[in-house]
Order: sequence, then structure tokens, then C-alpha cells
Amino acid sequence: MPSRDEIFEKVKTALVDALGVDDDEVTSNATMVGDLGAESIDFLDIVFRLEKSFGIKIPRGELFPEDVLSSTEFVTNGKVNAAGMAALKARMPFYDLTKFEQNPSVQNFPNMLTVEDMVRYVQSKVGG
Amino acid sequence: MRWFWIDRFDEFVRGRHAVAVKNVSLAEEHLHDHFPGAALMPNSLIVEGMAQTAGLLVADAIDYNRRVVLAKVAAAEFHFDAVPGDTLRFKAEILDLKPAGSLTKVSSTVDDRLQGEAELFFAHLEPGEGVPKLFEPDELLKWLDQMHIYDIGRDESGQPLQRPDW
Amino acid sequence: MRFTLLDRVTAIDPGKSITAIKTLTLSEEYLADHFPRFPVMPGVLMLESMTQAAAWTIRLGEDFAHAIVVLRSAKNVKYGDFVEPGKVLTVTAEVLSQDETTTKVKATGTVGGRTSLTARLTLERYNLADRVAHGDALDARVRTEMRKLWAVLHPAGRGAGAVRPLVYGAAVGGASSPLPGAAYRQGAIDPSGDVAPLAGR
Repeated sequence: MPSRDEIFEKVKTALVDALGVDDDEVTSNATMVGDLGAESIDFLDIVFRLEKSFGIKIPRGELFPEDVLSSTEFVTNGKVNAAGMAALKARMPFYDLTKFEQNPSVQNFPNMLTVEDMVRYVQSKVGG
Repeated sequence: MRWFWIDRFDEFVRGRHAVAVKNVSLAEEHLHDHFPGAALMPNSLIVEGMAQTAGLLVADAIDYNRRVVLAKVAAAEFHFDAVPGDTLRFKAEILDLKPAGSLTKVSSTVDDRLQGEAELFFAHLEPGEGVPKLFEPDELLKWLDQMHIYDIGRDESGQPLQRPDW
Repeated sequence: MRFTLLDRVTAIDPGKSITAIKTLTLSEEYLADHFPRFPVMPGVLMLESMTQAAAWTIRLGEDFAHAIVVLRSAKNVKYGDFVEPGKVLTVTAEVLSQDETTTKVKATGTVGGRTSLTARLTLERYNLADRVAHGDALDARVRTEMRKLWAVLHPAGRGAGAVRPLVYGAAVGGASSPLPGAAYRQGAIDPSGDVAPLAGR
């Protein structure tokens, strides 16, 4: 079972390759969108690289819950509602959603994801 | 200038890999500007030749059901500049393919010397995702015929590709 | 077609940064193929626009010392929006670092204020004199042609002696504005490069 640091290093490599950023920019606290410039197209590229690097399968919607964020059941007036937040927490226990809960606007979701969230996601997949 | 940056396919194995060739010729107008009296094939256009090789491989693999567009050049690197008289040989392989996108790797060689390498990422867009139809079926088929895909193409089991009846 | 993928340079800080525009028109032949039902600027030509913009600030930063300036590598060239005929692509390139033969550049492209592409590029510069026989004569020819093209691309250079090397500050009448093109449009600089209001003449 890989250690957290081993996972972090491989996640870092995937992000450096997918986003064209420098090694030292990929810190645990760096946000994917704000700090590393990830755009929607990059998330699929990151999925490809994580799958290959860790030998895992990442189904659509697991890393990035586009289905929840676009559902009328879970989104009211552009904000994720209580049912939606419960769905996100159940689906994505590896993400730290505390900040997002303060302003659960749908467009905020990609902005709050950090490198550490990616690491925790991979940990949940490889059982680390 | 027209927008054909490969001259034909030499190998085409559905869903796997493809090899296409592109001759560099002084009859091409752009070479007289890049650079005057010292023609060098622009590497940006070599990226396009790579993208056409890989993009058609990907589009065939998903049965032309979605609109395949170059969304990202993850990395491209060139080791020397191609000149008139050179034949560029692009070899593309699909690294990964999902319904929404694909990652490909393409190399460019001149006389077996590695001229360039690139990782190209394609988005596969559905109608309604902001892109209208790119081709009428016959316009696309005309290009595929010109590229000899149905003359030399094979599926994974080695059987000749069936020319579609669009 | 010609291989000039910029129409005008609007700002330059030689050797450091540059902003230029490329207007897209349906009269460009390749748009008939890319794509027949949806003419848009091919992504690799946006890459070429960024490369050419970067090459100009490199050339101007060293007074055309190297004849050949070419794209050597590109990282993370991302396309956001399509550029359609009638639109103007504005490209900006900023030099991050430079050594004896290569220059690293960060480049962006915007359409109507929205970012439509971003990239990190490495360009290589060299002289043919170092690679082929009679290369020095070839270099001289390329340099002359490049100076002529620069005078066309940069309004402050028009009419001011097409092959005369431009010296910044001097070319805009001693003004230190890095935006001679913008100033020209506002009427502050006439095409000869002299400072004089266009209005009232």
C-alpha cells in the first residue's frame, strides 16, 4: 500500500504533466483552478494520468461530480442545496467541503478543490 | 493555403495506431515566408500534421459519432527543423480513450531520425456542446478517401476496414 | 498564403514582452477546410501567432542578431474558445527567461477580453552561418526581410525607412510609451513616427 507521500509525488507528476506547471507550484494547499490554472478540459487529462499512474479506474463523475452540480434536484438558484450537499458528502468523503459549505455556489466547486483533495481521492481508491 | 497537413496514411489500425506521411515541398507558399530564402517547415504546422494523424485515428475509433477537436497540446518538442525535400512520417497511438476525450502520442521522423514528439489531447464533443456540425458526411468521406484510409486500414483483428455508406 | 499570422503589433517591450493582434477573415483559404461547416482558426495557427509574436520581441530585443527564431517546444497549449471569422485574436507573450540559444515564454490569447488560449513556449534562435556553407549570406537576406516585415507590422515603423532598425524611444519622438501602436490609434503619433496630433491637419 503506497504511503501518503508516495501518492503525493505521483499526483504531483500527473499535475505537472497535465497542467504544465512547475514542480514547486504543486503544494498540498494549492487550489486546482485558482493556483494551478486547471480548466474543465484538464480534469479529463488528469483522470487519464491518474488512472495510468496508479492502475485505477475513475468513473465519470467520481472525481468531479458534474451530475450532482447540474441536477435540479440538488441545485437551487445556482447553489447546492441541503440534499445536494448530503449527496456530495456521501459520494465524496475524500473532499474537505467545509469551505464550500460557506458559499455552496455551483461555480465555486471547482475553485475549492486542492491538490490535497486529489491525494485523498487517490488514497480512497488505492486503500492507502 | 489549404488545410491538409498529411498527404496519405501508410498504416491505419483501428483504435490502435496510424502512420501518415507528409512531404515538405517548396511549392508550398508558406515556406517562402518561413524564412525568405531559407525555408524551414514551421513546427506549428507539424503539430497539425500530428493532430490530423491522431485525430482521424480517434474519430474512426468512436465511429465519427462525436466532433473530435484538438483541445490541448500537453507537450510538444522538436529536435531539428524539417526542410524542403524531407518526408515527415507521423506515427500516432492512442494512449487512452473515453467517450468525452482522448490522449494520444505522436512522433515525427525524417529518414528514421526523430524530428519531434507530442502528446495531444482531443475533446469529443456532442451536438449541443457548443460546436455545430464540422463536415457534411460526404465532405468528410472525401477527405478519408483522399487519405486512403479504406485502402490500407485494418481493424484490430486484421480485417480491412469497411468504407462507410454515408 | 503568406505565413504572417499577425496583422499588427500593438505594444512591445523589446526582449521582454509583446502584444499583437490577428484578425480572422473568411478570405483565408484554409477556412474552407477547417472546417467546411464551421470555419474557425486552427489551434495550431493560434500557436503560430503566439510563436511569431514571441519571435518579434526576441528579435527586437537583440537587434535582429539571429536570423532564425523558431518554436522548439510547447507545453500545455490549451484552447478555450473558438476564434471565428470577423473576430480579433489578441496575443500576448512575456519572456520568462533566456539563455544563449533559447527563450522561455508564457503566452496567452484573448478574444473580446476572454482568454481563449494559454501556453508556455520555448523558442530557439540561431544563425545559418553556424550550420551551413554560405550561411552568413542567407542570414543577411533573412534579416533584411524580417526588418521590412517588422516595419509593416508595427505602425510606428511605417514610412520611417522600411529597413531602418527601430530604436524605441527615438522612433516615437523620445516618448517612453511602450504602446506606440495604441498611441498611433489615439492620434498621438502619425505614421512617420513623429509626435503630432492627427486631428487638425
